[in-house]
Amino acid sequence: MAYMDKILRVNLTTGNSTTEPLNKEWAREYLGGKGLSIKYLYEELKPGVDPLSADNKLVLMTGPITGTLVPNSGKLAIAAKSPATGTILDCSIGGHFAPELKFAGYDAVIIEGKADKPVYLYIEDDKIELRSAAALWGKGAHETEHLLYDELGDVITLAIGQAGENLLSMACISSELYRQAGRGGIGAVMGSKNLKAISVRGSGGIKIPDIRKFSAAMNKIKREDTMTDDNMWAYTDGTPMIVDLSQSTGILPTRNFQEGTFDGYKAINSDAVKRVLKAKKACFACPLACSNYVKMGKTEVEGPEYETLALCGSNCGIGDMEAVIEFNRLCDDHCLDTISAGNTVAFAMEMTEKGIHDFGIRFGDVEKYLTMPTLISTRKGVGADLALGVKKMAEKFGGGDFAMEVKGLEIPGYEPRGSWAMGLAYGTADRGACHMRAWPAAVEAFGDIDPFTSEGKAELVIGMQDSNSVKFSAIWCDFWAISTERMAEILTLLLGREFTAAELTIIGERTYNLAHLFNEREGFDRKDDYLPARFHNEKLTTGFTSGKSLPKEEYEKMLSDYYQLRGWDENGKVTAEKKRALNL
Amino acid sequence: MKALAFHAEKCIGCKLCHLACSAQNEGEFNPRLARLKITSIHNRDGLLVRGQTCDLCLACVEACPEDAIIEKNGRLSFLPDLCTDCGICVETCPPQVIIDKPKGVGVCVQCQSCANWCPTAALTFEEVNK
Repeated sequence: MAYMDKILRVNLTTGNSTTEPLNKEWAREYLGGKGLSIKYLYEELKPGVDPLSADNKLVLMTGPITGTLVPNSGKLAIAAKSPATGTILDCSIGGHFAPELKFAGYDAVIIEGKADKPVYLYIEDDKIELRSAAALWGKGAHETEHLLYDELGDVITLAIGQAGENLLSMACISSELYRQAGRGGIGAVMGSKNLKAISVRGSGGIKIPDIRKFSAAMNKIKREDTMTDDNMWAYTDGTPMIVDLSQSTGILPTRNFQEGTFDGYKAINSDAVKRVLKAKKACFACPLACSNYVKMGKTEVEGPEYETLALCGSNCGIGDMEAVIEFNRLCDDHCLDTISAGNTVAFAMEMTEKGIHDFGIRFGDVEKYLTMPTLISTRKGVGADLALGVKKMAEKFGGGDFAMEVKGLEIPGYEPRGSWAMGLAYGTADRGACHMRAWPAAVEAFGDIDPFTSEGKAELVIGMQDSNSVKFSAIWCDFWAISTERMAEILTLLLGREFTAAELTIIGERTYNLAHLFNEREGFDRKDDYLPARFHNEKLTTGFTSGKSLPKEEYEKMLSDYYQLRGWDENGKVTAEKKRALNL
Repeated sequence: MKALAFHAEKCIGCKLCHLACSAQNEGEFNPRLARLKITSIHNRDGLLVRGQTCDLCLACVEACPEDAIIEKNGRLSFLPDLCTDCGICVETCPPQVIIDKPKGVGVCVQCQSCANWCPTAALTFEEVNK
């Protein structure tokens, strides 16, 4: 069946592991992935738990489509309470770990407690072992994966680097060297548990009724709906294609969001990536292969993705592809989230240039810039301050008006002064400033919707948040622009019960509301849903967005519209009526 | 004779071929039961892409002491009643793509499910020099 009906629970404090049935009622209400991992955490975590304590839990969750021929189904959700924000945190990581976990026989792994010494978790079907990671601790994620491959053979591994070991709020979890569960310090949760890596090998399979008929239907959908002009940008360019779009629409973060265009953009755009492209790479079951494996000089990486080109390129004043690739590789190896790391370095650059605090690094200083990932992830020298991340740096050193974060999570690569709904998306994302919950830049800045009005933006953002919530619960990759109707069609064929688009939309809405309830329980409300003052008080001065800001009153209007349409009160709390309607 | 061929420079490592093969021939989604092996991993030297597919070399047909694997019209057939589970074919197969099962083996029957699913034409069904 599409669900394995089995969850593995590993307690690192006791060293015991147990299995239990998947909660089928919850699976009906939340599908899997994002929704189901949040449901488990909502039910099992005590309010106010310290994210870096033994009481936090790490949930690895697959979905019903994981491990099958359904296109773009290779993702894994990894969730915990976030050390960066104190909110719920669910990340999505590609590669081959999620299907391998299902082939080993599990829908999910829930990791509890804390090991007294560094360990790694080895899962091979029914064999579950905690092994010493003494020889791995202190090593980068890349060498860790190589050593585990040497020792265990063809396993798939999730690993942390030095950033996770040192409990950085921007530490990610890595797999297959260049895939990340990137945001919110999910790698620090692993580090706090003394868990260096998780390796899995599964020999089982997934059996469904009429598998040949199902496969034929999926191949037709793959040809007619996945590998189409709407999606093939991922293969022909990948995310670097967004650099030119952002530049031309004035939303390319530049020098810590001081501008929306970058003179050196041609050095870091898709054409520049293509000049050093060696191969295209895909996650499991993905025909779109967005990933670009590049080599330049002595460095190589799968990437750099748009977010890295923007936040670690233009936003740091770095118009040098080889430098960005090397910075990217260093971040991946040390397991630093490039969005947060790029923002943090950019903030230090502006603080230095403005004379507020001297971090010894200025915009465009390639030599110093390339020392940053190692210094930050090991908390050495100036890196000890940058390791705090933007919010805590601003609390310590000042510069709060241009500390580019929401709820403690640094801002992705879309300037909201040229895409107002992006501002609302950042403000209302369930894990702080995130572009994956809703990405309205696609239809505003890059589309036909007026980016400079607050009208209709709440509805736009809510629709995307709910649709993505169900998409990331199944779990599909973001890069197939799949309709909710198509999701319903595929889930009906796979699970043998009728799904409708309307039902899926409710699952998405329920998921988003549950995430919000988790955050409410942690004390979050309207006061936390605001953007850095820079977006309101400073006008951009170049390109298409010259003269534009996102006025505070317009943001307030979008936020109030948003709460009203969500069925939340004016302070951003889920109403009793809405809870009843969603069975929460 | 036509047979499967692999073009490493086009492979994206999605494993759809493994899933298509195991679904068609074993009735489950299980990459380890696929009658081909496509590897795309990053090792210490960089990206390694390697493909092992049945090119109808017929080494298994020659090796089988019981004639349980035969070739007919450019396709292999496995005759389970004749198989004694000696494992010689599995060991002999140059590309190592015969699946060893609890009872009997699985050989590539050139069904082309893998090639039909391959999104980049890294797997093709074409004339091989035999």
